[in-house]
Amino acid sequence: MPAFGAYAMLIFLLVFLSKIPLMLVLNRSFSVVPFILIMSIFIIFIKPGEPVWEFSLGIFKLSITNEGLAMFLNIAAKAYLCGLCMLLLMLSTNFLNLLKALEKLRVPSILIMIISFMYRYLFVLEDELMRMKRAKDSRTIAGSRWFHARALANMLGVLFVRAYERAEDVYLAMCARGFDGGIRTIYDYKLRIKDLCFLATAVSAVSIIKIYIG
Amino acid sequence: MPKKVIEIRNLSYSYPDGTAALKDIGLDIFEAESLGVIGPNGAGKSTLLLHLNGILRGNNHIRILDSEINERTLSLVRRKVGLVFQHPDDQLFMPSVFDDVAFGPLNMGLSKEEVHHAVQGALKEVDMLDCIRRPSHHLSAGQKKRVSLATVLSMSPEILVLDEPSSDLDPKHRQDLINVLKRLSITKIIATHDLDLVLEVCSRVVLLDNGKLAAAGNVLEIFNNRKLLEEHNLGIPAKLCRTV
Repeated sequence: MPAFGAYAMLIFLLVFLSKIPLMLVLNRSFSVVPFILIMSIFIIFIKPGEPVWEFSLGIFKLSITNEGLAMFLNIAAKAYLCGLCMLLLMLSTNFLNLLKALEKLRVPSILIMIISFMYRYLFVLEDELMRMKRAKDSRTIAGSRWFHARALANMLGVLFVRAYERAEDVYLAMCARGFDGGIRTIYDYKLRIKDLCFLATAVSAVSIIKIYIG
Repeated sequence: MPKKVIEIRNLSYSYPDGTAALKDIGLDIFEAESLGVIGPNGAGKSTLLLHLNGILRGNNHIRILDSEINERTLSLVRRKVGLVFQHPDDQLFMPSVFDDVAFGPLNMGLSKEEVHHAVQGALKEVDMLDCIRRPSHHLSAGQKKRVSLATVLSMSPEILVLDEPSSDLDPKHRQDLINVLKRLSITKIIATHDLDLVLEVCSRVVLLDNGKLAAAGNVLEIFNNRKLLEEHNLGIPAKLCRTV
């Protein structure tokens, strides 16, 4: 457990160095908490061991064990720290640079392409939905909740069809510019001494915590 | 007699759902000329353009720069014919302006320096060099439109095919676009409703309606035929209104 504290200190040090407001990181990090809880809450009941508390729901008997609790805390803390790291990475790194870095780390280019398309068209779809909603709202004077729900369902359907057709058009536009299945990009970032120093410091800090604190 | 760069014979095309979009089109396009393709909505203008670099292929005969379009010549044809789509969100699919404009040159197998050079040149041409590192989705509609043109200019095509190049542009950038088009001495085929652009840029015009070639000829000859334009739901170019 003390190791988690040390890791957390390390992350907060990085947050401080990145000049991102701590409150922003913490606020955003709360949104991952429900997911962590949903994923890990069952461990309390499943892990066999010394029961601390038992209760029955009809024919089901649930028991919370010591070992289960310990493992739950362990996993939840780990997941939360991972979440913090991801947040810090996303907040401090431009998405384009992140894609280029993934490319350099030899992530398959097809995956990178999928991510980059997702990033590019998420905004287009969002705009499209917003425009449709505006157009709907400006023509809606009254109507029951059921009517609105149905209109929304129609909008989602239209959005799906448009996304599907746009995918075809984008593919045609790619072909028109000589796309033949091969993915080529230009990479003009360099690994500098500064980056190596940072990498070495980060790895040794994590290793020291792992070896001396456990 | 200038060299014939595109030869279209008996071109008919029906969409998979059975709608006939083009019916028996025959057309010759000559080197370094600017051809305007006009016609009402749904006349088949975009469909015709999609045939010019082999995106759509029907049962027909199209020769581009002395080669028939088929599987073997497809990549060559696409290198020579630059097609700009009407909707910038279809044309711009990479995360940044630079990556988008570099997409074509990279596919052509150019070296890193050549790609950088081509990208800079193309963006400068459309006055978008300042936005080179920006993500495409943060641009305005008009800026996207200009970057779309750059994505094809960077491939230095021999034939430029444009679908509605002036829609969404403000008057200044529309005029800039017209100037860019006038400056480019390559063959241009422009489908548009902007008859004043056709008047300024093009020398010859074809009128499509309902998938058929309704008229073809010299720009002034067609545009002064008021009855013809009105029959096909087209207005009179503003510049000619005063003189008629």
